[in-house]
Amino acid sequence: MAKIDLSNISHTYNPKDLEPTYALNPFSMTWENGKRYAILGPSGCGKTTMLNIVSGLIKPTQGRILFDNEDVTGQKTETRNISQVFQFPVIYNTMSVYDNLAFPLKCRDFEKNKIEERVQSVSETLNLSSFLNMPARKLTADQKQLISLGRGLVREDVAAVLMDEPLTVIDPDLKFRLRRNLKEINEEYKTTLVYVTHDQNEAMTFADNIIVMDQGEIVQVGLPKDLFERPKTTFVGYFIGSPAMNLFETQLHTDNSVKINDTIIKTNTNLSKLKNNNIKLGIRSEFVKVAKDESENLVEVNIQKIEDFGNFKLLTTRMGQLTIKSKINREIEITNDKVKLHFPPEKCCVYQNNKLI
Amino acid sequence: MEKLYKFLKYTFIILWTVFIVAPFLWAISTSFKDFQSVNSKVTYIPWLDFEPTLEGWRVLVKSPARGGVDIVEPYFNSLFVTCTASLISIVLGTLAAYALSRFTFKAGFVRNNDITFFFISQRIMPPIVLSIPFFIFLSTIGLLDSLIGLVVVYIVLLMPIAVWIMVDFFNRVPKELDETALIDGCNPYQAFYKVVLPNSIPGLIVAGMFCIIFGWIDFFFAFILTFTEVQLLPVKVVALNSSITPWWSLSASALISVAPLIIVAFVVERYLSKGNLSGALK
Repeated sequence: MAKIDLSNISHTYNPKDLEPTYALNPFSMTWENGKRYAILGPSGCGKTTMLNIVSGLIKPTQGRILFDNEDVTGQKTETRNISQVFQFPVIYNTMSVYDNLAFPLKCRDFEKNKIEERVQSVSETLNLSSFLNMPARKLTADQKQLISLGRGLVREDVAAVLMDEPLTVIDPDLKFRLRRNLKEINEEYKTTLVYVTHDQNEAMTFADNIIVMDQGEIVQVGLPKDLFERPKTTFVGYFIGSPAMNLFETQLHTDNSVKINDTIIKTNTNLSKLKNNNIKLGIRSEFVKVAKDESENLVEVNIQKIEDFGNFKLLTTRMGQLTIKSKINREIEITNDKVKLHFPPEKCCVYQNNKLI
Repeated sequence: MEKLYKFLKYTFIILWTVFIVAPFLWAISTSFKDFQSVNSKVTYIPWLDFEPTLEGWRVLVKSPARGGVDIVEPYFNSLFVTCTASLISIVLGTLAAYALSRFTFKAGFVRNNDITFFFISQRIMPPIVLSIPFFIFLSTIGLLDSLIGLVVVYIVLLMPIAVWIMVDFFNRVPKELDETALIDGCNPYQAFYKVVLPNSIPGLIVAGMFCIIFGWIDFFFAFILTFTEVQLLPVKVVALNSSITPWWSLSASALISVAPLIIVAFVVERYLSKGNLSGALK
């Protein structure tokens, strides 16, 4: 286990071109020992490149990687003591389940007793004990993925376990259980876990910290709550949460209010230093409520659609050309075509050039 | 409809089997005949149509001094040349194929695919084109009419097959397998022989099978590059033919020439049916 520092790292796959395209733009970050991180972003945003840089499969074009303040940038993968699980199960077909799990220890010349003990312990955690003597190739896809995971967890001293969308092939029920398993493993062994995914629910439920990436850029690092309530860019607001954050083009009105069409919306943000161009207002559909007795921040809208999701209702409404979505309590009955929606000022986020003010 | 389909299917299979097996049965039957039974009238079944004799087989192991043709020595020559050349081709070819599959080579305009094509291109030329260079080459280094010379030539002929099959095979082995091995603590060489190679046994068997077949059946180079010192089986079998064709010993020698290939086929088939050859990695 180690603290991992990524210092001013960037990477391009075509460094010799006159204008190389960067898969990862320069960034610095620290992964604390024993924490769970999720890297979240759409396909092709540089998530896997980042993992491969940490595991040493790729050498970064620029920057340094430090494990516990020791520079490992030049070290090869096999000496880095890192573990990586890929999207599709990679197992050693010719070996038994036991040998698969023992392989990383055998490669590092561990004693036989120690190997036996570790394999038993990991196989119990992952429910693989009864398969230990079976040829690994005879197992199902999700069991094979468990083996890949097990190979990562079998080394106690591993600096971090990197997982690249490891639960893609596993069915939803087991996915849920495995995620919980991983959390337990993290709490028990204090292994640093880094989890790449494009599924926000997976990221939200798994990680202490979420790293959101877009087009080779790290857009926001934070707790799930921060990402949800105060997305730093409109991309994060759009990417995280279902439905995506409501975003409207607005005009500045006063130092702390904006205007959508003719409606004035107060916010808790100081807007005095902003220029009046490319300003957006964002608010989560979870925070948009049907007005009861509020007198400010009201928006009158036409109901377009009401969808009942069982645990909540999703209102889709229109105000002129704008669409506003609101998640409301399913007990609320809406009989009129028109309702007033309330935007709580503390939940309103103002963006200039797509960045949070 | 289904019955008709079944009927047609089985009829076809039976006809095809007869088509494949008949020449063998005919050769087996002929190998036990004598001059009379071959040349007088058509005969089929031993003891009923003709009196079987082992003369056709005996000739093959008798020394020429005692009126035989002795194919034992050419047989072992062939076995030695084929096995040695196949083994070396597989070892070198597999290493070349792994490199071509996993690393990117650049030399001027030459890329990985061009190198692979270069290997295969050795088999595009008709053998006759290669015969003169090979002849001159072997006579220069003094290996004409020798087993080692033949091994060298056969390596040139067989390695493209091994490279071709193994490149394709390695390309289908996900590179994550190598990467996982590195992450688990192997160095690149260990990753290759501890992880990638055991996973590639099916490919190695297929490549080995092709090398053995092509090496074993080659007549052309064995004929051109040997004279008196060394003789390979195909050349010896053809040489059996004289003014009076000895159909009986020809049949017997044909049968024992085919025997190793049939054994190889059965072994490989067994491996195939275990399901180890297909879908090795998924």
